Amino acid sequence: MATMTYLQAISDGLRTEMRADERVFVMGEDIGVFGGAFKVTDGFIAEFGPKRVMDTPLAESGIVGTAVGAAVVGMRPVCEMQFADFVSCGFDQLVNVAGKMYYRQGLPVNITVRLPSGGGFSGGPFHSQNPEAWFMHAPGLKVVAPSTAEDAKGLLIAGIRDRNPVVYMEHKHLYRRVKGEVPDGAYETPLTARVAQEGTDLSIFAYGAMVHTALEAVSELDGASVEVIDLRVLKPLDEEAILASVRKTSKALVIDEANQTCAAGAEVAALIAEKAFEDLDGPVTRIATPDCPIPFSPPLEQAVLPSVERVKEAARELLEY
Amino acid sequence: MPQMGVSVSEGTITEWLKQVGDEVAYEEPICVISTDKIDTELPSPAAGTLSEILVDVGQTVDVGTPLARIGGEAVEAPAPPPKAEPKPATPAAVQSNGHAKRYSPVVSRIAAEHGIDLDKIEGTGRGGRVRKQDVMAVVENGGATEPPLHIESPYKPDEPASPKGDGELSRMRRQIGEHMKRSLDTAATCTTWIEVDFGRLEAARARLGITALPIVARCAIDALREYPQLNAWLEGEKYTRFDDRVNLGIAVSLGEDGLIVPVIADAQDLAPEGLGKRIKELARAARDRTLKPDDVAGATFTITNPGQYGSIMATPVINQPQVAILDTEAVVKRPVVVTAADGSDSIAIRPICILGLSWDHRALDGALAAQFLAAIKRRIEAWD
Amino acid sequence: MATKTSAAPATASEFLTTEDRIALLRYMLLMRGIEERAMNLYRQGKVPGSFYDGFGQEAVSVGAAFAAGPADRLCVLHRDLGAHIVRGVTPARIFSQYMGREAGVTGGRDGNVHFGDFRVGCVGMVSMLPDMMLVATGMAMAFKLREEQRVAITWFGDGSTSRGDFHEAMNWAGVQQLPVIFVLENNQYAYSTPSALQFAGDLHERATAYGFEGIEVDGNDAEAMFEATRAARERALAGGGPTLIEAVTMRMHGHAAHDDMKYVPKEQVEEWRKKDPIDRQVARVAELGTDVHALRAEVQELIDAATEEALAGPMPDPATATDRVYYEAGEDLLLGDGDAPWSGFAGGGA
Repeated sequence: MATMTYLQAISDGLRTEMRADERVFVMGEDIGVFGGAFKVTDGFIAEFGPKRVMDTPLAESGIVGTAVGAAVVGMRPVCEMQFADFVSCGFDQLVNVAGKMYYRQGLPVNITVRLPSGGGFSGGPFHSQNPEAWFMHAPGLKVVAPSTAEDAKGLLIAGIRDRNPVVYMEHKHLYRRVKGEVPDGAYETPLTARVAQEGTDLSIFAYGAMVHTALEAVSELDGASVEVIDLRVLKPLDEEAILASVRKTSKALVIDEANQTCAAGAEVAALIAEKAFEDLDGPVTRIATPDCPIPFSPPLEQAVLPSVERVKEAARELLEY
Repeated sequence: MPQMGVSVSEGTITEWLKQVGDEVAYEEPICVISTDKIDTELPSPAAGTLSEILVDVGQTVDVGTPLARIGGEAVEAPAPPPKAEPKPATPAAVQSNGHAKRYSPVVSRIAAEHGIDLDKIEGTGRGGRVRKQDVMAVVENGGATEPPLHIESPYKPDEPASPKGDGELSRMRRQIGEHMKRSLDTAATCTTWIEVDFGRLEAARARLGITALPIVARCAIDALREYPQLNAWLEGEKYTRFDDRVNLGIAVSLGEDGLIVPVIADAQDLAPEGLGKRIKELARAARDRTLKPDDVAGATFTITNPGQYGSIMATPVINQPQVAILDTEAVVKRPVVVTAADGSDSIAIRPICILGLSWDHRALDGALAAQFLAAIKRRIEAWD
Repeated sequence: MATKTSAAPATASEFLTTEDRIALLRYMLLMRGIEERAMNLYRQGKVPGSFYDGFGQEAVSVGAAFAAGPADRLCVLHRDLGAHIVRGVTPARIFSQYMGREAGVTGGRDGNVHFGDFRVGCVGMVSMLPDMMLVATGMAMAFKLREEQRVAITWFGDGSTSRGDFHEAMNWAGVQQLPVIFVLENNQYAYSTPSALQFAGDLHERATAYGFEGIEVDGNDAEAMFEATRAARERALAGGGPTLIEAVTMRMHGHAAHDDMKYVPKEQVEEWRKKDPIDRQVARVAELGTDVHALRAEVQELIDAATEEALAGPMPDPATATDRVYYEAGEDLLLGDGDAPWSGFAGGGA
């Protein structure tokens, strides 16, 4: 066990897997000599060499497409999009080539695509997005979103070992702000949700940075017994865990940092409304960033991203409903 | 043209049974009308001479069109029955925010499972709606249709004793009264109270789907094992301890008729779920008047629980020949001071219940009573 | 195995035996015959969706695929049915595939030429063109990383060179000097869009801009296609990086069965009919004494038998429609090796 940051945990996971399996290699822009825009692969090229720590041309479609090619001949590439926002340049390769290959041709595509996502630091519209919903919507892809250091490592290793294309949402805001105990060696986090905090009167569903926002909001709600569920895996969603929580509390609040319409939380809300109807004592409520590009200037950005206050208010209202 | 049938809007004359100049008696068939539903004779709405035919055979006209004149008066179709007004929806109880009373799926389900009449429940949710907690509270207290489990403090009768006949108390009321008086005359009755944080208990009972009483009972039973001096009888000089064996009496109100204390024999062997079940069974039997003598004998300790009405403390009367009785009242959210690990204090809102213990000073002292209450408190506050 | 017979007509490649040259014709006859039969099946309503063929372009796929080794990997496009046939996919499975039957290569999950039997080293295409250029580049990247003596070959059309993935793949292959062969089938039209509206300059010259060799080849000469691919393969295996082969040919049918190609000038079609790749190869092997008539008959018999077999096969079970979205467990599925018919030409062997 060691205490490390979320970012260090990601590095640790990558390093552990690369040491254990020579088929694993990392590819992305500026990840080699520079060690990555966020230093996730700092020191990697010295240990693994330029072949396995590949500085690619500036070509997201190229990164994903060539990764597919390498994967179908037996390698396990881990691609990095420098910012999650840039994945749209590789969207076609990810959704149409990687996602559909196994279904159509019986050929599994073992790639992992790391997406540094999320806002909160004046990244502006093109460095702050949370595009996970696009990929939840594409058949054949899996989407994971850790919120703790331990899960960051475990889900990455699980994703690399998963023979399917896995989209890994690493939240930039958590890189250095979240620390935790991380087990040594290799381990896989199961593709399930996690109960971040137990409670009886309200269930809050969140993932990534919003888990921490939720926990903070709840700690300020005295006397209320609120359960916080860290979804961890967005596709496939842990339906059982979601429904079990709502059965217990009868009230559900779903939080997305992503833009509201058709965010991951919309799927969670629909699931609850359909399958936990008989257990509901209040409307399934959602908090999300409104449908606008993420603005750059701090007061604007803070106004749109779900804040602790907003979550607390919504929780309080729903508790009292 | 008459309206025959709700969906009919027109009709056709297929035959005139009377001709102009004929005498027509009231309700005598005057013509035959065909609609897409039926062919039917039209009974004349008036008596007199048929003076004019306005619609010929084969003509189709809308409902309400005059067909003929009798004695100068136009024979119209009997006025179509007033259109069936859609029955005004019985206005459901309107809550303060103007919405008709609705119950959420989970509230409806719990009510159905426990046979609870939702209309009788006071809602504490937004706009007065009945929330899950409200219906659960009723479940905990035995159901809205059933009176709460409680024992009346002799100092605070809660229902006016309705006299039978000439203003006398009922026989049962008198018997209870005698028992109470005798108890107070016999025992050196003192009462001690303690505040208990019911937070964990509330969480647990929701999870287990039971009310609070069985959990409190279980904690009390366990505490009695620690302090068996309270699980005893004192009859004059004779002091009998029952140690681990707890026959738990639960005070059950019978409404106007008073109260009765059925007994859960060997309650120490039951988990909260089992205790809850047994309490329900005994309460039902008590109200159905089907308790047997064995069911009300042999209690070694009694619990009384009138908490539904909001009272927070009481001075219960010991059930002779026992030496103590535990009273649990309302659970109220209060601001309390919580001390963090680092020693800093802050205010938190916690569900607090005051447990009261009336005890016989002949058999024990206040310190023991306090310790016993503390033991219950400890267990409740650590409940998992 | 190189045979140089002075009596034989000049061959574009000294690496082809007589058997090889006959094989080239046979594969092209198979491709054309299968596609003709499939077109008829389509018109009979037995082929759902759309039907694409590579009529008149048979040499581009057959010739190039013939130069590939068993361990090489191919990204085959929709007018390159010949490559699948060279790699060993049977006509019956191809018909089943067109008809959406269970026995088709994709079991009905994708249609027409969107298939790739990974057991014989082919990766199935997607509709977004030229996405597969990047996949082939990626395969070549892996070969280089692992220092394997293998190449990746990918086919794509003139129209697709207008999309970003063409550039990304060319650039990537060039900067990393990868063992990939880019076969650009310039068949003059992308659906109804003629070259003049598609690109400026000469396509094969673009390779220079990316740091590697680009050549223009007669796409209707199977032997020239073979030689160009063979040479490119040799270069790649020697560490010389990628090659762009611009195979100049003509799309003789419409974009698909629903297209009557009215936009193509009749003279252009006539001009190219004279250069038909099968006619030209027939001429060559006939001169070598081959009984072309017998060969055609044999091919036709095969096609007829395959048609019958395919028609007898069941449609896929609707209950399986949502199966296999995710790989869950089972064998380590990778592109197979060794099962592809190997041309066995002199310079070949992985």
